[in-house]
This record gives sequence, structure tokens and C-alpha cells, in this order.
Amino acid sequence: MGAQLLTFGAAFLGSAVESVEALTIVLAVGLTRGWRAPLLGTLSALGLLALLVAIFGQLIVTRVPELTLKLIIGTLIVLFGLRWLHKAVLRSAGVIAMHDENRAYAQTVESLRADHEKTDWIGFTLALKGVFLEGLEVVFIVIAVGGTSGGMGVAVAGGLLAMLVVAIAGVIIRRPLAQVPENTLKYAVGIILTSVGTFWAAEGMGVSWPLDFVSIVGLAALYFLASRVAIGLIRRPAFA
Amino acid sequence: MKWLGAAASEVIGLFVGDWVQSGVSVAILAAAWLALPRLHVEGVAYVLAVALAVQLILATAAEARRKKA
Repeated sequence: MGAQLLTFGAAFLGSAVESVEALTIVLAVGLTRGWRAPLLGTLSALGLLALLVAIFGQLIVTRVPELTLKLIIGTLIVLFGLRWLHKAVLRSAGVIAMHDENRAYAQTVESLRADHEKTDWIGFTLALKGVFLEGLEVVFIVIAVGGTSGGMGVAVAGGLLAMLVVAIAGVIIRRPLAQVPENTLKYAVGIILTSVGTFWAAEGMGVSWPLDFVSIVGLAALYFLASRVAIGLIRRPAFA
Repeated sequence: MKWLGAAASEVIGLFVGDWVQSGVSVAILAAAWLALPRLHVEGVAYVLAVALAVQLILATAAEARRKKA
């Protein structure tokens, strides 16, 4: 039950963050140039992403031996999670700017206005590319957490529910979801993924954890502590 | 083709933000893969986590130093 909840939570949160970013692009295109082309682009991207989940999800679950799968996917999740955590630490320490959906929206609208004389392929392509590229991270999270825990269905459900919630919110308020604490979510997902990845990678190496699955809580505490130490270190006045 | 290139770099970018940091992380995991299964000590897996956590602190501090310089 705990493993299923964690799988669902990681897939839901990771997908929600990326869906917010994709929504910003689709909204910017739709509200500037009309909805037909960006909606077609979005549907095409979602179709491609679903195909990727079906192909790779099936291949991974049926063809790769369990220990090898845990080691490879665990390693990839560690790299993926550390990248998010690394950025979250630098953002929290004020070294790089926080991700701002309002600014991303304004930049996309500005670039679309400049290209207004061109055909609506731009609206289609921008939505397709934006949703597909942001969706790749969702696909990876879903396949990784679902494939290693044996809960592919739960992970897919978490990812789909997150996309649905974000899409409904976007339809209702018709502007970027700038109030979503995206940076905090990425920080949290970075910690969860790095912890889960470390857990699977070590299991794939043939090493067992003292409290089995519960060890992930300890790993999350360790990575959270490390990130706070890094932020504290970088924020020190003497640091340069 | 440009679009394919963007997709490929996006896939690599999923796992690699900083090549040095990613290289060090892979090296830590590889060393753990070689060493940990031979040490039959309870809780030895935490050595891997501690090494990755220390690596996170050092890598973020190094990048912050570069950006502030």
C-alpha cells in the first residue's frame, strides 16, 4: 500500500509540475492565435506520449530482468532527481531565478505576436513541441516509478489525473497557473525521486535496505538535510 | 530534423544538467555497484546515499561559486 501511494504521489506531483509548464505554452498560443491549431498540437503530442508509455512501459516490464531493471532505472531516476534537486537548491539559495509562469507566458505571447503573419502551423507546432517536450519528463517519471515498483497502472493513473486536474484548472481560469508553488513542488519531487532512485539502484546492486521500503523515508530526510546544508552554505555572506 | 534534435537534447537533458556532476554521480553508483555487494554489513546501502548527498552539496556549491564569480 505504501509503495503504491508513493508511486502514485511521485507520478502525480512530477506530472503536475510539467503539465503546468505545458499549459502555459498552450494557453499563450490559444489566447493569442485561436484554439484550433494548439488543441490539435496538444492532442497530437499526447498521442505520441501515450505511444511512448505503451511501447517502453511494456518492453521494460516484460523484457528486462528485475534486478537489471532496478539498477538501470534506479540510476536514471537518481540522475533525474539530482538534476531537479540541484536546480531547486540553486533557486532556493537565490543563485538562479525562480521559474515564473507569468514571465514564460509573456515571452511566448510576445514571440507569437512577432510572427503573426505566418500560417497557423506555428500555433500547432509550438503546442505540439511544448507539450511533447514537457511530457517527456512525465513519461520518464511514470515509466520509472511504475516499472520498478510493479505499479505501472497506478503510475499512469497518477500522471493522467495530474494532467486532467491542471487542464481543468487552465480551462476554468484561462491564464497561467502562476499560483501553483512550482519551485517547491520540483524541490519535493526532486527529493522523492532521488530517494526512490537510490533505493532501487542499491536493490539492483543486490544490496538490501535495513527496513526495506520504509528506508525511503530515511533517504528523503538525508537528501532534504543535504539540500538545506547546501543552501545554507551558499547563502553564507563569506561564500564566493 | 531540427525538431528531432531538440527532442534528443531534451531526452539527454532529462538526466544531465551538468556533465561533471552527472559523471561523478555515475562514478559513485559504479563504485557502489562494485563494492557494496561484497560488504555484508547491515545498512551499507546508506553509504551510497551519503556519497550522493555529499556530491549534491559540493556540486551545487561549486556551481554557485562559478555563477557568483
